[in-house]
Amino acid sequence: MIEAERISKRYGDLLALDDVSFSVEQGEVVGFLGPNGAGKTTMMRILTGFLPPTDGTARIAGHDLFRDPLAARRAIGYLPESPPLYPEMDVEGYLRYVATLKGVPRRERSGAVERALVRCGLSHVPRRVIGALSKGYRQRVGIAQAIVHDPPVLILDEPTIGLDPVQIREIRGLLAELAAPKEGGTQHTIILSTHMLAEVEAICRRVILIHNGRKRVDAPLAELTRGGARLEELFTRVTMREPDEASAVAEAGA
Amino acid sequence: MRRVPAIAGRELRSLFASPVAYAFLTLFAILAGFFFLTQLLVFQEQLIRLQQFQMFEQLREWNLNDQVLQYFFGVMAVILLFIVPGITMGLLAAEKANGTEELLLTSPITIWELVLGKFVAGALFVALLVALVGLYAGLLFLYGDPEPGKTGAGLLALLLVGWAYVAIGLFASSLTRSQAIAFFVSFVLLMVLWMLSFLADLGAADGGSLGGGVLGALGGWTTSGLRYLSSADHFEQLVKGLVSTRDVAYFGVIIASFLILTKAVVESVRWR
Repeated sequence: MIEAERISKRYGDLLALDDVSFSVEQGEVVGFLGPNGAGKTTMMRILTGFLPPTDGTARIAGHDLFRDPLAARRAIGYLPESPPLYPEMDVEGYLRYVATLKGVPRRERSGAVERALVRCGLSHVPRRVIGALSKGYRQRVGIAQAIVHDPPVLILDEPTIGLDPVQIREIRGLLAELAAPKEGGTQHTIILSTHMLAEVEAICRRVILIHNGRKRVDAPLAELTRGGARLEELFTRVTMREPDEASAVAEAGA
Repeated sequence: MRRVPAIAGRELRSLFASPVAYAFLTLFAILAGFFFLTQLLVFQEQLIRLQQFQMFEQLREWNLNDQVLQYFFGVMAVILLFIVPGITMGLLAAEKANGTEELLLTSPITIWELVLGKFVAGALFVALLVALVGLYAGLLFLYGDPEPGKTGAGLLALLLVGWAYVAIGLFASSLTRSQAIAFFVSFVLLMVLWMLSFLADLGAADGGSLGGGVLGALGGWTTSGLRYLSSADHFEQLVKGLVSTRDVAYFGVIIASFLILTKAVVESVRWR
């Protein structure tokens, strides 16, 4: 469903992503991990076609992101780091607008909006103005806009950031439901970035860890946690190794 | 192009969801009323004076179109110069500040759909302003007999000049995430475009002054070039009732050029 091939991104002198490749099969839920500034958001922006990579290609649902961008983008639901909301619009009007942008045919729009409202627990606030909603509700509207056109691929940048524990549990339940729908719905392929390792352990089946723009770990969760190993230890080990290596190189050079 | 109405519609709804649109409409209506009324009073006074002095020759040439409407439309074009940047400043800059740019650019829409949608929203708002002006001009038809053709040409001129302003304001809005900067940039651009003909006049008339001397030295070609580029000159021709392809095409070219520039800037966000 998602294929990233040798993607590099350079901002001036800074190499934000360095030759990152991976592919994600349909129905997989991949946790995208890494410390702040590792390149997670950059990678997600590239996969959604918002940023072009300096090098490399990507395919979404079989469509090349750069040669057939409209078809590729139609297959993606994307929740950016900060939800792209218009504070002056009401929830339903906003979702209807997003559905139009995403190319949902007019006849199906009301149904699509209704479905997204129900799935994200928003069906009791369709007329509320977004700017007046709490942060948790705004995050839900952000997720609702990502799924309103029922895309096969979901790319979510920190979907549970800033939420309280109850809201986090609700969103996780929603994501689990999207990945494994009960009755014949689209089985979504999901990439989500997060800092919460417990979240990854709860809903992801695979982990990709990037650090300093390079892919360090790419393995099924079950394999990484075999024998009672904790994800947290792995994360710390991988991300702490880097400065050691750097100082080791410096010492060798001296 | 199917998403153009959706983008324009959302923009207009948001504009009218805030007090900004109403503030601009009110301000514009009050200013229009003020200038309309003062010019009408001046006209009346001069008419009485001409009758008192029995200057029938002039009296025959004195009419509502030339003495009231032409002046009125000219003043409104200058007021649009101030108002349109206020409407267009947020068109693209607000999307950037809001983070909604990310939604737009990752949606399956083309950049043309986005740019045209935004332009149409601004153009419709300007059409509303021009309709207000038309309302005042329409009052004259109730009490007098201005020429419909000439009046129509004046309103067309106002509409065209307003749409050109929208295209330029949209371009300024694409450059930055700050609405204040967008306002300033478009205002300066509009001002320069409007005043080019004054510069040309300076060169033609006043060879003695420094500026005039320089322009005079550059020759008639430069002054006529400046005059051709100036929006004021084309506007004046249209307002006089001389609707020519040349002047209408000028505004078409300005609109098209700035839309193309805007598209290039929006696209470049991806390649920065």
